[in-house]
Amino acid sequence: MSGDIVMAAKMIGAGLAMIGALGGGIGVGLSVQGAVQGMARNPDTYGNLLSSMILGIAFSEAIAIYCLVIAFLMLFVV
Amino acid sequence: MEKAEKKWRWGFHRWIVLALIILNVVAVNLYAPVQPHIQVAAENIITEPLFTLPVIGDFYLTNSLIATILMYIVIILIALAVRNSWKKNPVAPKGIAGVFEMLVDMIYNMTETTAGKYAAKVFPWFASIVIVLLFANLMKLIPGFESIGVLRHSEHGYEIQALGNGTWSTLLNKEAHNGGYTLVPFLRGVSTDLNFTTALALIAVVMIQVIGVQANGVRYFEKFINVRNIFKKPLFGVIDFIVGLLELISEFAKILSFTFRLFGNMFSGMVLLAVVGVMIPVFLPSGLMLFEVFIGVIQALVFGMLTMVFMAQATQGHGAEEEQK
Amino acid sequence: MEKLGFNLGFLLVQIIAFLITVVVLRAWVFIPLQGSLKKRSETIEKGLEDARIAAEARENAEKEAAEILAEAQASAAQVIRDAKEKAELAARDVKANVDAEIAKSRKDALVDIEHERERVLGEIRNNVASLAIAAAQKLVGEALDEKRQHELVAEFFSGIKDGKVSILEGSKVAGENAEVMSALPLTEDEQKIIKGEMLNRLGEKAEVAFNVDPNILGGLVVRVGDKVVDGSVAGQIQNLRSSLE
Repeated sequence: MSGDIVMAAKMIGAGLAMIGALGGGIGVGLSVQGAVQGMARNPDTYGNLLSSMILGIAFSEAIAIYCLVIAFLMLFVV
Repeated sequence: MEKAEKKWRWGFHRWIVLALIILNVVAVNLYAPVQPHIQVAAENIITEPLFTLPVIGDFYLTNSLIATILMYIVIILIALAVRNSWKKNPVAPKGIAGVFEMLVDMIYNMTETTAGKYAAKVFPWFASIVIVLLFANLMKLIPGFESIGVLRHSEHGYEIQALGNGTWSTLLNKEAHNGGYTLVPFLRGVSTDLNFTTALALIAVVMIQVIGVQANGVRYFEKFINVRNIFKKPLFGVIDFIVGLLELISEFAKILSFTFRLFGNMFSGMVLLAVVGVMIPVFLPSGLMLFEVFIGVIQALVFGMLTMVFMAQATQGHGAEEEQK
Repeated sequence: MEKLGFNLGFLLVQIIAFLITVVVLRAWVFIPLQGSLKKRSETIEKGLEDARIAAEARENAEKEAAEILAEAQASAAQVIRDAKEKAELAARDVKANVDAEIAKSRKDALVDIEHERERVLGEIRNNVASLAIAAAQKLVGEALDEKRQHELVAEFFSGIKDGKVSILEGSKVAGENAEVMSALPLTEDEQKIIKGEMLNRLGEKAEVAFNVDPNILGGLVVRVGDKVVDGSVAGQIQNLRSSLE
């Protein structure tokens, strides 16, 4: 019985942890928006913008990934 | 004439895909996929420790260790092949050497645009990380990884069925009531092991500091313990000092960030493939595989590029030069 | 930590393995490839340089060709211009000759016409005299004989009376060139008389020209130098009109 409650709490906790992915998604969308606008205005900077964009995406995606890791830890480790 | 042949080829590929999908459906109906036991730590293949060292503790043979060793052997063999190919034909290398040359050229150009005159120092780390991570991330997509291994008794195990003469068995998607088996795979994705990602992150951050010191000398550490202005301008000096401490913390945050970015991406990919593979075993995992290839390449590039950017930042002097301007 | 799979031993193994790989890759892949890349970029640069030189050479050749072409075109244009000039010159010569011939023939024709006119006028004079006499006979009756009448008419036209030029009597003229104007062409005898008279008065070297102007109706108008002796009928009528007014 108590094990089931713990299991349920783990699941709920993992789900709650994934709320943080919201911020990461917004961040990725914003950075891609900015980069694509820049590319559209000045197509010559395509290469520079692409690498900067991937870096920025990696940074903001990291937040979502941390949430995912926490969720995994709750599901599989704790 | 050629056009017609091409059209025929397309049709041919289409039929191959259709046949594979039908085969997939049949296979899934014969042997349904089993939800693997997912755990963050690498599994021990042998339950007894190989040897015990006084300080470090027990040393097990884990599946990710085998995969790591395999991966490094492959990389070193390919490096040897590249070297031989280059010795034979230094002007226009063929095959794997050509691919490596293209990759190295691309990475070097990228380094040069960012790091400038320190490119020669930064470049080997960047390129090594990218190459090793490319192999680590893409090797886990090879069939056989995480699906072939030893069976072990477990409380929540599955029933097994012998294949052929009994040397090989397969799990069945049927929960055993008392003492079934679970699978401990021989090979596991290298970058889904936290030890590997932590090792890479530690090396990257330590090398960032080393290159910073090589470029700026002892002054590099003024970035972290900034006491230059604390007596001249007390208020701003204190703020500078605190900012320096934050920089120090951010260096440790870099380790965590590197570690968990790579681990999270790869581990989530593994879990996603396993879960989706059980729930919708037909056709969808193929698309996810392609996505995993993309993610693996991107993460390899991102890890390397971030290392390179941080190294380039470390080579640029901090406060002192800005004030001289 | 245990459940995350962290293990110091594995960590060290991974670190050492990665460092070994870095060293191996650096020695076997990066340094040779960088060297070959550098060499290749040098080769490419050299190739580009060669290409640039070749392009320059080609450009020079093209420029020379263009120069030669331009020269040829210029000389061709010169030749054409010369030829055109010569042709124009020749055309002008021909035209001038033709013009001169035309002028000459026109002059000849004019002279002929003049002669013809004088001849015709001379014939007319005789007829006019005969007609005038006939008309006068009708009017006046046969008071005068025909010979006398002819003499009168001749005198009217030529201004010569009894072998002398009547208008020159009493007038003093001096000069070298004399111009005698009559209403109708004078006969050669009359011209001889007038010429002799004029030469007598002006000297042997004087030249006498004879003109015909029907407007003076009859008599003679003699112009010597800047002096005019008006013995014409028209002049007398003018004198009469001015004296009557």
